[in-house]
Formats: sequence, structure tokens, C-alpha cells
Amino acid sequence: MSLPRQVYAELERIVGPDYISDREYILAGLRHPMPSTPVKPHSPAAVLLPATAEEIQQIVRVCNQHGLKFIATVSSLIGFAYPTTPNTVILHLKRMNRIVEINRTDRYAVIEPGVRHGQLRTELMKAGLSYPVAAVGPGGSVLVNFACSSGDNHNQHGASRTNRYILGVEWVLPSGELIRLGSLANEAGWFCADGPGPSLRGLIKGYAGPFGGFGVITRIAIGLDEWRGPAVMPTEGRSPDYKIRLPNDRHKVFIFKFPTLDQLRDAMTEIGKAEIGQAVLKYFNATAALLATQSANDFWELWESGLFQRELSMPLYVYLATNSPEEMAYEEAVLRDIVAETGGVEVDPVIRAIYENNMDFFILVGFLQRVLRLGGAWAPAKLSADSVHHMFEVGKAIPEFLNEFTAKRLILDAPDNFQIISMEYGHLAHIELLFLWERNTPGWGEIPMQVMARSHETEIRHGHHATMPPRSMPMLEALGPLYSNCHIWSEKIREAFGAGR
Amino acid sequence: MLAPDVCSALGQELTRAVGAENVSNDAATLKSCASDCSLVTGTCPDFIAYPRSKADVREIVRIANGRQVALVPVSSGPPRFHGDTLPSRGGIVVDFTRMRQIIKLDAVSRYAMIEPGVTFGELVPALERQGMKLNVPLAPRANKSVLTSCLEREATLIPKYQYDYMDPLLTLEVIYGSGDEFRTGSASGPGPPESLKADKVNPWGPGAIDYYRLLSAAQGSMGIVTWGVVRTEVLPTLRKLYFIPLENPQQMSAPLDALLRKRVVDECLALDNTNLATLLANDLSRDFAALKAALPPWTIIACVAGYQRRPAERVAIQEKYLTDICRSLNLQAQTTLPGAGGMEDAVLRLISGPWNKEPYWKLRQADRCHEIFFLAPLSKAGYFVELMQNLVAQSRCPDVDYGAYVQPLVQGRGAHCAFLLPCDSSSRDEADAVRDLFLSASETLMKKGAFFSRPYGAWADLAYRNYPDGATMLRTLKHIFDPNGILNPGKLCF
Amino acid sequence: MLPLKDFKRTMESCNHCGQCKWVLGPKMRGYDYAEICPIHQRFGFDAYSGQGLLNIAEELLDGELEYESGLVELIYSCTTCGACDINCKSIRDMEVLETILALRARVVADGWGPMPAHQQAARSVEAHHNIYGREHERRFDWLAPDIRLSKNCTVAYFTGCAAAYRYPQIAQDTTKILNAGGVEFTLLHAEEYCCGGPLWRTGQVEEARKVAEHNLAALKKQGIDTVITSCAECFGAFRDFYPRLGQVNFRVLHITEVVQQLIAQQRLTLRNQGNRKVTYHDPCLLGRLSEPYVPWNGEIKAFGRHEPPKQWRRGAQGVYDAPREVLKAIPGLEIVEMVRNEENSYCCGAGGGVAEAFPDFSQWIANERCGEAESTGATAMVSCCPFCQSAFEKALGASNGGMKYFDITQLVAGALG
Repeated sequence: MSLPRQVYAELERIVGPDYISDREYILAGLRHPMPSTPVKPHSPAAVLLPATAEEIQQIVRVCNQHGLKFIATVSSLIGFAYPTTPNTVILHLKRMNRIVEINRTDRYAVIEPGVRHGQLRTELMKAGLSYPVAAVGPGGSVLVNFACSSGDNHNQHGASRTNRYILGVEWVLPSGELIRLGSLANEAGWFCADGPGPSLRGLIKGYAGPFGGFGVITRIAIGLDEWRGPAVMPTEGRSPDYKIRLPNDRHKVFIFKFPTLDQLRDAMTEIGKAEIGQAVLKYFNATAALLATQSANDFWELWESGLFQRELSMPLYVYLATNSPEEMAYEEAVLRDIVAETGGVEVDPVIRAIYENNMDFFILVGFLQRVLRLGGAWAPAKLSADSVHHMFEVGKAIPEFLNEFTAKRLILDAPDNFQIISMEYGHLAHIELLFLWERNTPGWGEIPMQVMARSHETEIRHGHHATMPPRSMPMLEALGPLYSNCHIWSEKIREAFGAGR
Repeated sequence: MLAPDVCSALGQELTRAVGAENVSNDAATLKSCASDCSLVTGTCPDFIAYPRSKADVREIVRIANGRQVALVPVSSGPPRFHGDTLPSRGGIVVDFTRMRQIIKLDAVSRYAMIEPGVTFGELVPALERQGMKLNVPLAPRANKSVLTSCLEREATLIPKYQYDYMDPLLTLEVIYGSGDEFRTGSASGPGPPESLKADKVNPWGPGAIDYYRLLSAAQGSMGIVTWGVVRTEVLPTLRKLYFIPLENPQQMSAPLDALLRKRVVDECLALDNTNLATLLANDLSRDFAALKAALPPWTIIACVAGYQRRPAERVAIQEKYLTDICRSLNLQAQTTLPGAGGMEDAVLRLISGPWNKEPYWKLRQADRCHEIFFLAPLSKAGYFVELMQNLVAQSRCPDVDYGAYVQPLVQGRGAHCAFLLPCDSSSRDEADAVRDLFLSASETLMKKGAFFSRPYGAWADLAYRNYPDGATMLRTLKHIFDPNGILNPGKLCF
Repeated sequence: MLPLKDFKRTMESCNHCGQCKWVLGPKMRGYDYAEICPIHQRFGFDAYSGQGLLNIAEELLDGELEYESGLVELIYSCTTCGACDINCKSIRDMEVLETILALRARVVADGWGPMPAHQQAARSVEAHHNIYGREHERRFDWLAPDIRLSKNCTVAYFTGCAAAYRYPQIAQDTTKILNAGGVEFTLLHAEEYCCGGPLWRTGQVEEARKVAEHNLAALKKQGIDTVITSCAECFGAFRDFYPRLGQVNFRVLHITEVVQQLIAQQRLTLRNQGNRKVTYHDPCLLGRLSEPYVPWNGEIKAFGRHEPPKQWRRGAQGVYDAPREVLKAIPGLEIVEMVRNEENSYCCGAGGGVAEAFPDFSQWIANERCGEAESTGATAMVSCCPFCQSAFEKALGASNGGMKYFDITQLVAGALG
């Protein structure tokens, strides 16, 4: 459905004729259904490519005036980037792609939405700096990960989730006003996102963000850590078979397997208490097999060999990154003490070699999208966090509901395909269950919701916290009553600030 | 103050709700609630209520809403310094000193679940007995509420355990001013708290809003917390203190930054000789002057620690990093406190828990004090210290012996800068001069980029005058969570 | 050529992950030179990308999108450089470029394409057997009298239209090198027609087939078992298009591969022509798109399993090393790499018919690439394709950087001892 000409003209005056379109062939690039659902999104009414926060403010005001909804997006990787109702305009923020500042002294970077992980992470490496990269692929938007979506990453044991690193926010509200949060409020610079007083930053992101549904974040500052690796990614080889090896005296990967989840849990807990390690996680095994292979057939050959089921059903991945060889020796000794005490052994060397040869798993996760290789129908479930112990309780309960789906051959038989990532030296952990299904399965469109529903029923039955109410309104209204009626508060807040439904 | 008949009816309602033994309108006690060490002018409340449970809190809030009476939550014992607990229009002080249960200590998942009345004096030793510690502020009062300290985003001593300014606060249960009950983060659900097996250590959410941030530094104006979960750490089995003497404050940011980038140290802070002497002198009148003169102008205190596994090896590695860093900066790290050799254990005690003596250290120099504190990038701490020096020199009290303190925060990306101005309240001239200095210096510092993230008293006006949009948003939120405006009215921008 | 409908699974499988727009993660080197898709970089809308073209193809196929001139221009603005294809294949089992080429063929079959300039090229090929409309009789005017040709040999040098008519120096240098290395070769002379690559890539499949079948017959008639070319476009056509028409009974080598072998066999001596810092541009059709086409007519079963197994062309076996080894063997040359190199090379802007249909955009792409070349500090840019040469010489000529362009054959021929 096209915009009324007058509205189009108003928007065109803001961004210029080259940066707005309602031509069907342009919109075709923004309404393709994800492979995981048969539901085709509504076509956007138009797409705009604004260049500045000021343009966004003007666009928002025009949309408000004419009753248009808008969605701000960058890479449009997930379903929230697409309209669920007609009369929605997409603001594609890719032109706002400046790294505004890298401050090496105070360790922050100020970025616009269009800056991608692949750009920022490798640019910062040159300066000996780093930040936790969420596993979304190098084309993912840094700002979106930090401020609008989720933000869990492999390295959050020694670092944290991305929301922890936000140091300042510039935000166009649903009303079109622009506000700056934290120390920016008093023009004190980009170093603190909280205050003055109650932290308004709490409105832009909880465990996950509003995925573009609460105004538009136009600039953020993110805190930076020291990078203990080389200035340039030491890539060898060619696609799809790159090797990335970091200096062995300060970077080591270990993968252990444990006989029980309880022992694995105990190892993860002890490693946290010892405050060693950069990445500590129980990783998915089917996903690991997908990342390790170069075609679906290769995956099936590996998967049907049973190696990853045997070796990686209860694995512990540990990545140590230290400042010196002496520190590495110390951390390795402590790690081995813990693993020996908790009953772990090293996995098949073939598997360790995969990660030793591709330590990008701990840097940029460039090939993360291989998880889509089997046809693209996949979905995550759970996705929240609590203590390491509690996450393992949740993990142990997964077969209770998942086995019914594998028994009916509705999903890939991979009951151990969940990850638990330690955070902040094991103070808490994030859990994600990833399941894959085939689009030709009868009723395939219903599978993800059925799995998630059964997952949630299991959590309620056990009193487990593993899922946060997502942003979508129907889900929020369905689950909100179980979560302190958060849907009511969320609705009040969104209405108060003009975000609508 | 309320009209007598209204007051009486209110008192009866409170008594029915929480029991006569938990309601007070003793004149002296009421009067003590109207003032503190700050420059804020308060009013006497009409009652003090002492809830013992969440149910009590709900009732008190219900009553206050029904009668449009202000509620001022207070969790710490005196002396208080910020004016945030002084009622601005009477009402009910909700005193949590009787709601002080340590609900749970968990050494495996490293957290403590506590009620608001639990103090540092109670929690720190309880944690130690279980092999844990808390990331504490510098020498907090023993009767200070741990939850309040965390809610108010007080600066803590171990920057490597801070991932943002909310640490170590985790989840909360709150009764909003509307009377609704809410739990944040992973405490939110699914289902009622008694059915939930989660450890409630994930503070974010539920959903796309960080509700706990909206309650932080709110001075009790958004909701009344009935319990909270705070993060704890492993108690080190081996600790070694190092002291880095500095001639001038501009030298401090480089070593602090370098140490924190490599995560070498646990506690680390910088104190000037005034503050350090105030904290360490056994007999202030006898020992302070000599001690201050002997101490270097500034001292960085840094603690390297080993935990349960191979602690000596860990400490050895961290020590080498520390000494290498200092050498590269032409600084000297010593295990003896420069100018005060033999007092190292005293320093260790200072950074390990609450202040247990009387008077509280901030009141050792005089019976009153006014503290200016704000946040700044660590690289600018030295600049602000020198700026404050100049402001004092140009003031009507150039000889005031104020103490300065810089606390790196959040992995060293920020710093808490604090200047403690002692003030003899018996001298009108001195009191006026110090007050004027406090106000004018605050304004100048803010104009020069100091971030008053916790805007108590007069700072609120300064902070929100230049931030009208933020103030409007906060008022909008306030209206959502406290529609009748009963919670601590008159604070912040409310 | 498989019809568009045969690529439905590819179209359905797209997750909008964005890999088609960006340099592969392990090869990213900072903020600059991180984008890989010229149309996306220039025009910004997602429709301008491999992902966008897949979405457009699916909507056209399903009758949900109608033709209009803007749509056709969008489809033909793509240079078919294959970066999207190879990058997608680093993570997925999809055929992005095949879908784009099938889309173009469909546009032509539906009467909406190609662009007028491409139609003109087809008419030129029909009439004169070359894309420029020049006289066929003059195709070998470049042949110098001192070049030795062999009779009764099985190796042929295929000149290609661009070298024959626009950059005869390339053909002259190539044949000089072959002579110097003692390689016996012949020419097809009047039997050499356009390779058909530019027609195929613009969706004019039948026109391309005609000339390709002619060339195949000519090569067979002469008993040729090895074809050498110095044009990446021709190389790409032989490797990728010709096998689709039937059995190909010859191998095709690029001149850089031949020179690499000659150097290794010490049949060529190269001398220092002066010190120079150079950067090498990987032509798409010599690099990531040069792996031979392998037909596959199987079935995709549940969870992506291909039966029988499919041999995927993911760009790993492209001709990347040979040109570099050749350059290293020339004394005095220092080679510095651009960020976007090898399988992540950024298009020159001349491919896919873009130089003919959208010359300004083609130059924009070339300028982008030349800027990257200049950023290396090199004083010269080297490649081995006359189409790349045409794009870069214009761009370098317009810039004030002073950087020169050389075809690799020029450097080798100049260094012959």
C-alpha cells in the first residue's frame, strides 16, 4: 500500500529523493518472510534512509501527524524489523554509520546505528581495545545489539553482556523529541549512562531491548576493554576454511566433557570463583557441528558419525586470554585443578583443533550464520539468565518437553543443543535452546510456538526462570501476568511516551 | 503537619495496620527526622511507622494513598548526610530498621538476599562467616542500610566487580506508590515468588525495561523496596596491600587506569592526606596533624588478592604487573604505608568493612560536614581535584581542611570524586562560609563537566535546570509509579 | 541454464543475515573497506543486494511483483561480481548468483530486458562476432609479425573481444610471453568469436549459446585440448558457461597460471625493470567465480541434505596464487595487499553489463576500488583482465593520485630477459 502522495512528499523533503522509496521492487527487499515462518510480513508503506538524528526527529513527527507507524532497523535480521500492521514505514539507519569517536584514554567509542561489528571490532583491535561482540555475524549493528536487542556473547564470562557497556545514549523519543541520557544530560561527556537520579536508561533496554519499537536510538557510547590479542586478525586461508590462531602463550582454548550436567555446572561455578578465563560456556552441539562444516551434507556426515553427540553433549568450552605467559600458566593450572576435581576430561583432539584453528569463535564469530545452513528454519527458546546453578536446573528439564517433538520427528534430534554461557565470572549465566525444523514438515509453521509454549509450561511447573517476556504485544500480554504484570507497566510507560502498541 | 483530627485518625489507622508498637509520634523522635548533616531543610513527620513485613508496607502505602499523606522511607540509622530522608511536607517516615532479616546467603551463586534494614555492620561479618565479601563503599557507617547504599548507587571500592553503575545491586521486590507489588529481573516470575526456584540474580527486565534502574538513585520517590538481592564475592584467602605515593593528583589516573585495564587489583582508591589521616588517626586531636604532615599528598591504595586456588601464585603474578606498571610510570609501589608505616593493617580493616567507631569518620573533624561528590572520567579526576583546590582557595574559608577521595569505578572508565568539607556548626560564620563554598563549588564543578548523578538537595535544581526533558520524563514515570505523589515528595525534580 | 523456478529453495532460504553485503568477518580490517556489494554500498536500499535480488526474484516468480523500468534497471545494476554468492556460500548452501543470472534470463524471456546497451552488444555479436560491432576481419590486427605460431599443436590462445579490439597490447604481450617461454600455441583466427560471457551474464542465453557452440566446434575441429586466455571474462565463460552446454573437452588456463608454471620450470627469466610498490586486484571471474561449473540435478531432502551430494563452488579454488607468484618473481616489485582481496575482492565495476548500461555507476565502483588501491601506498595497480583495465584506467586517470595501472602481461613482457 503506497503512502498518500502528500505524506510521501513531506518525507521526501526530509531525506531527499534518493533516500526514500515506496516502489514495490524496493519494498520487496523488506517483506520477505523469514524461513522459520510461513507468515509473510506486511509490506512496509515506504522505506527511508535518514542520515541524522535531526532527520529522524522530523520523520517521527510526520509519522505521528499522519498516524503512520515506523520501525527503525539496521540489518533487519530478525522478525521484529518487519511490519506487523499496514501503514508502517521503515527507517533504515544504515546511512548513520559513523564511528564518531574512539577515546583510548577513557576507553569508550561513540557510534551511530550503522556501524557493524566487523568494522568496529577490527578497528578497535588496532588500538589494543575490545568489547564483547554478540554472536550475530559481522554485519550486525553494534548499537542495535547494545541498546535494542539482546546482547549475549561468548566472552561474557570475563566481560559481560552488551547492555552493561552502554555509557551514554542519544534517543529520539516516539514523540520526536531528542533526549540524551546519563552524563550527557549535564554535558559531562560520554562516560555514564545512569542518572541524574533514576536512570532513564532503564527505559531503553531490559534483558532485551524493544527491537526498534520505542523511538529510535541514534547514538550510543560503549565502554571498551583491553584487547589482549594482535592488532590485526591473523587470518590464514580462504573462505570457507579460514584459520585464525592467536598467540599460544596468551590465548588457549580448552574443551572438556563431563559425565553429568551437575559436574559441568560445578566446574563452571568453580572457574567463576577462581576468576579465570575469558569465555566459559557449555555450547550447543548441533550448532557446533554446523559451524564446523561447510555444507549440509558435511554436517550430516559429521552428525551421523555421532562424534559431536558423544563428545559435546556436556561440554565445557574455556578460552583463556591473559596478559603474560606466566599468567597463562597459572590460569591453566587452576583450570586443570578444577576440571580434575569435577570429573572432566578433554574431548577428542579433533574437536579442540577446530577451535584452536578458528579462534574467531571468541572474537567476531564471523560464521555464526552457518546455523541457518540446513534450510534456515530455526528458533531460539528460553534466552534469559539467572545463576549458573539455576540455568543448569533449567537445562536438565529440557528433555521433558523437547523429546516429544523429536519423537514425532518435528525437529532435529538434538536434545543437547542448548548453551549456558557463564557471565561476569560465573555470577550468573545465560541459557538458550536452539531447535531446528524442516519447512516441509506438516504444520511446520506452528512448530516454534508449540516448542516455546511447552518450554514455558515446563518452566512454570518447575518454578524455573529462563524466559523473559518478549517485546511482541501478544506474547507480552500472554506472559505478563506471570511476571509481576510487567505487561501493564510496559503498556503504561509506552503509552505515556507515545509509543503506541 | 496534619490537622489534629486527621493526624489522630491516621495514627489509628496505622496502629490497626502494623500494631501500636510499630508506630511512633514521640516528639523528640519526630524532630530528629527533620534535619541531618546536609543543607536541606526538612519538616517534622507526623508519624514514624516501623513495618516488619511486606504486608505492613502494603498497608502503609494503602493508607497513605487514601489520605494523600507523604511517605519517606528510611533504612539507615543516623547520622545521615544527604537530606534525602528529610520529609518536605510532613507525613509518615517508614523506618525499616525493624525489617532487617538476612533472608538468604548463598556462597555458591554468590549473593545475599536482604531486607532494607540490614546494615553493613550486620551483613559484612555474616558474609565473612560464609567465605564471602561484599563490594562495599569506603568505610560506610555500621548502621547504614546495605540496600539503600546499593539503590543509591554509592561508589564501591572494587572497580573490577563493577560492570556498570548499578553494581552490586541485583533484583528487588518493590511496592510502588500506587500500591502495586512488583519484582524485577529474574525475580519477576514466572509465577509468585514462593514458587520460583530461581536465585534471582539476573537484575535486567522483565522484558524490555530495566525496572531496577528506574528505582535507583530515586531517594525512595518511585517505590519502596521490601527486599533486595545483592551480589557478593569470594573472600580472598590472601591479600596484599600496596601503596603508591603521589605528589600531585594529576599523577593518579595513569596508574589506576593501567592497573584496572589489566584487572590487577581488587580494592583500589586514592585518598589525600587529609582524608587518610582522618581515617587512620587513633586520637584525632593528638595524632591527626602529624600524621597528615607525614603522609604524601596523595596515596593510591591497591589490594592484590588470591582466592581459594593457588592464591600465592595469583598474588605473585598480580604483584609483578603492579610493580612493572609503577616502574614504567616512574612511581613506586610499596607495601609499607608511606609516612605511616605500621598502619597497614588499619588500612586493610578500613577497606574491608564498615566503620565501627564513634563518631563516624566524616564527623571526626567537626560536628557537621558537607560532602561534594560527583562522577567524572578517571582521566579528569586530577583536574577536578585541582579545580576544587582553587575554588577553596578563592572562597571565604580558604583554610578549611577538606579531604579528597577518588574512587575509580566500572573497570576504571569512570571515577567518583568526593570532597569532604568539615563544618563546625557552633560557628555561624564558618557554617555560612562552608555552605556558600559547597553551593558555589558545586555549581562551578558542574559547569566544568562534573556529573552529579545522584542529585541530592541543591544539586537537584542544578542538575534538572539544565535537563528539562529528562525532568519531564522522570515526572511522567513518577506519575505512573506513584500517581498520587506520596513517595518522598519534593526530592529530585518531583 | 536452469530456469528461475529451480532456485526457489535458495529464494525461500534467505534469512536476511546481511553476509551478502559485507566482507567476510575474518577478512575485515577495520572501518574502511568493509562493504563488498557495490550496489548496496551505492544505493543503500536492501533491494540492491544479493538478498534483495533473491526477494525480487521470488516475488516475480510468484506473480507478486510486476515489471516496471525501475525494477529492470535495478536487476541490471548488479555487476554479477559474485561477492554475495561466495559470501553467502561461506555460511549457507544457496546459489545466489545462479538465481540472479536466472532472473536476468527470465527478464529477457519475458521481454523486459536486457538494457538497450546489452541488446546492442548482442546485435554486434550476431553481425560481427564481437561485442563492439567492429569488423570481424580486424579481430587479429594486433598480431605482430614476429610472433611465432605453431601448426598442429593442441594449445590455442583465445584473445577475446576486449583484448583484440580495445587492449591489443595485452594480446601482444601474452603471445610474446608464450614465445619466450617456448609454449607452442595457435590461434582460432576467423573462427574465434566472442566467448559469449557478456551475453550470458546479461540474460541473453540463446545468443550466448550460439557463439559458444561455434567456439566449441572450432576448438574441437582444431583438436585443441588447452585454451589459454588473458581475459578474466573469457576465462569465466569457459569455466562457468561452456560446461552447461555439454561436454567440454579442453582445459582452460589463464596466462598467469601459464607464466607461473614457466617460472617454476625456469623457462622464463625476468629482470628488474625498476622498483615499484604494486597492489594486485583479483578479477571476480578469475578469482572467486573461476571454479568450473559442475552440473547437479539432484534433490534437496529434509534439513538441506543434497542427494546426490553436490559439489559446491565456494571460491576457495580460484586463481589467486598464480598472479601473486608471478608478481613476486619480477625483481624490484613489492606487493602490498588491499583489504578486500582474493575471494573478498571488490568488483571493478565493469562486469555484468554495468559498464555499458550504467557507465557513471560503473565508474563510481571503479573509483571506490582505486581509492582502496591508493590507500595501500602502492604506486601501481595490477590486474589481468581488459575489462578491469578499462574501468581502472578511467578512474585513475580522473584521480590526482598518480597511481598507474598495468596489466600483468605488460609487467611480465617488460621484464623478459
